[in-house]
Amino acid sequence: MSTPIIALRMRGITKTFPGVTALSDVNLTVEFGRIHAIVGENGAGKSTLMKVLSGVYQPTSGTTEIAGTEVRMTRPADAMRLGIRMVHQELNLAPDLTVAENVFLGRMPKRWGIVDRARMVADTTGLLAELGASIDANARLGDLPISQQQLVEITKAYAAGPRIIVLDEPTSSLSEGETTALFAILRRMKARGVAILYISHRLKEVLDIADDVTVLRDGAMVDSRPVAGITAAAMIRHMVGREVMNVFPKTPATLGAPILRVEGLGDGRHFRNISLEARHGEILGLTGLVGAGRTELARVLFGLERPVAGRILINGTPVTIGSPAEAVRAGIAYVPEDRKAMGIVPAMNIRENISLPILRRISQAGRIRSTEDVALAASYVRDLGISPPDPERRISLLSGGNQQKAVIAKWLSTKPSVLILDEPTRGVDVGAKAEIHRIIGELVAKGMAVIMISSELLEVIGVCDRVLVMRDGEGVALLDRTELTEERIMALATGEEAA
Amino acid sequence: MTSAADPKPREAERFRRETPLALLATRGGLILAILCVVIVGALSSPMFLTSGNFLNVLTNMSIIGIIVVGMTFVLVVGGLADLSVPATIACGAILSLALQPMLGTVPAFVLAITLAGLCGLVSGILVGYVGINPIIATLGVGTIVLGIVQSVVGGVIVYGTNPATADFVKGRIFGIPVLVVIFAVVAIAGHLVLSRSYWGRWTMATGGNPVAAEASAVPVRAVRAGAFVLTGLCGGLSGALLGLTLQSARPLVGVGYEFSAITAVVVGGISISGGAGSVPRAIIGLLFVQLLTNVMVLNGVRTPDQGFVLGLLIAVAVALDMALRRRGIA
Repeated sequence: MSTPIIALRMRGITKTFPGVTALSDVNLTVEFGRIHAIVGENGAGKSTLMKVLSGVYQPTSGTTEIAGTEVRMTRPADAMRLGIRMVHQELNLAPDLTVAENVFLGRMPKRWGIVDRARMVADTTGLLAELGASIDANARLGDLPISQQQLVEITKAYAAGPRIIVLDEPTSSLSEGETTALFAILRRMKARGVAILYISHRLKEVLDIADDVTVLRDGAMVDSRPVAGITAAAMIRHMVGREVMNVFPKTPATLGAPILRVEGLGDGRHFRNISLEARHGEILGLTGLVGAGRTELARVLFGLERPVAGRILINGTPVTIGSPAEAVRAGIAYVPEDRKAMGIVPAMNIRENISLPILRRISQAGRIRSTEDVALAASYVRDLGISPPDPERRISLLSGGNQQKAVIAKWLSTKPSVLILDEPTRGVDVGAKAEIHRIIGELVAKGMAVIMISSELLEVIGVCDRVLVMRDGEGVALLDRTELTEERIMALATGEEAA
Repeated sequence: MTSAADPKPREAERFRRETPLALLATRGGLILAILCVVIVGALSSPMFLTSGNFLNVLTNMSIIGIIVVGMTFVLVVGGLADLSVPATIACGAILSLALQPMLGTVPAFVLAITLAGLCGLVSGILVGYVGINPIIATLGVGTIVLGIVQSVVGGVIVYGTNPATADFVKGRIFGIPVLVVIFAVVAIAGHLVLSRSYWGRWTMATGGNPVAAEASAVPVRAVRAGAFVLTGLCGGLSGALLGLTLQSARPLVGVGYEFSAITAVVVGGISISGGAGSVPRAIIGLLFVQLLTNVMVLNGVRTPDQGFVLGLLIAVAVALDMALRRRGIA
């Protein structure tokens, strides 16, 4: 018997929930030793398809074959037994255990009923070396940076000897350098014959790493082909069903006087001696590798952490920002990176989320003026095009992009003069991304200063007027729009080019 | 930040259709349960449907009901539970009676409640600002305060000196017992604060996602502390009224009230995870528990068996909450 080439063949997969069809007649074929990307907007059915593949959902109709054998999976354990491993965006690891313990969690090698630690550590070290990851098997997981924790998660999936590995947005918390490291690992896994399903919003990465790509739109498969010969523009066209002319619409900016000035700011741990200026009508980019101190800088500017050195000036006047409330009073707003943990109160509706920071302003004798509350939410829902246009909808039921718009609306309600956006388009689909860029463009056109933290170089280059590149907690270079190239920024961020 | 955690629109549709049903099941279910209890009560005991019994239930309900209002804030803000209630009740009851001869009735009453509120403030600071687990903080503060109260009065019973006050508290306004009127005022005020005021919205946000609330300029520490101050004040008020009604107060007068209040709030369907809930729902929960207890008493059910039923009720209510949560938020 010859070794099968086809790792996975899904035929006619349809999944309906009461009243709605989440997947209709999806066909997917994945070969061993190839990386197959699945792309599509939020809501296109990627997650549902992966849940069918991992046994969480049972398809309404359609068949699944693994290595040529038709299978029925009724629970996640079935999928695991068949050699299918999922690596979720959110890490499923125990921070207080060591790397080796995490890799072998649930199936540690035993000798006479006792965990054989030596073998476990040796095996883990071997696996890490095989994948080319330089991580100490004895390190406590929680002490590692997120990017390495992710590699541990992938190693854990690989350690189980899987036939198919599914990666869901694996690069969303990685900088470009770390992404390169991850790709090297994926290529090694691929060379060992594993079939890899790769879900991503980042089309450039798909072009880099994937051998095949399947595009989903509205629950249906619109295209499935080898990556060779396809362009990002073509993929976007398939994903949205229309031509998106410019992914990063540029709004001409007339730069005004500086609003925010930061002089020699440091928090004593993550960054030091940072000086910058944000001017009226300007989008100032803040980029660098993850861990360069960008988010920590934003947190200090917003009063979530205290600085130990330097000063912050608003319109030339030094200010102390000791809490988010004081930041709001100073005209600073912050759209955080981790939307789910820091951005939204999931159990509240859109309206309640939007008015949260200005409740006192719209209250009289402690009572919220309901008409104002309702009108405010309605106007932002309309202006920012939040969908569905229902302010009373629970925010957790919106797509990522619409949640992000609601979080931006929340901060616009405070009428800030400086808006800090931390990875504002992470995990949102192409259409919503363009809309968020449009919104940012409109805000600076009205004279707001925007500081945008982003790891996505194309976005930084496309949107920003000036860019501060940070490395290891220091600002290494301030580049003007005309000097921006991906290569230049990467070289500065990784330290290959000294400023 | 994840497509798995952001429900896709069509899944959202699905949940939207299920949620009202689920809500109906919980809210309507409780009303249905109350009706069942009333029917069983009416059939099993001739005493049950008398106005005397009804007023009795309402009056009993009022003392706990005041605490339920505060406890609702504690659960909604994500503060789990306030176990210092017996201490604040004792504080209110004993001080309002003991200080009466020296200060006069009204100042003693006000001072007793204020001191109970101070106990709540200490719990609130420990929970909100220091970050101690609420169960431990309130247990500790409660134990200390109860100890102080006991040692001050020497562990004996304090008696009232002004029976006229008892007459007033036990009296009626337009046929409604004064206690019931006071409870209604506290409940309505609590409801308005929680549902209409910015403080109430802050309380919901802090319970729902404290990190996001803090990042949205909500003073989460103060809001958390506030819930415990409120429960302290409620405990003090409740205790003072209890003391005036009984015209005597033992240090352990309030023991058990904390669990009755928690039972009512939880049975009312307010999640122990915080972030959602309302005063009326808690009071409906209280009404159910009180009627059930009343029917059991009228039918001669022994106290240990009553405890068994109430314990079961808490477990079922919490299990139901968890199950709905899993389906609703997933």
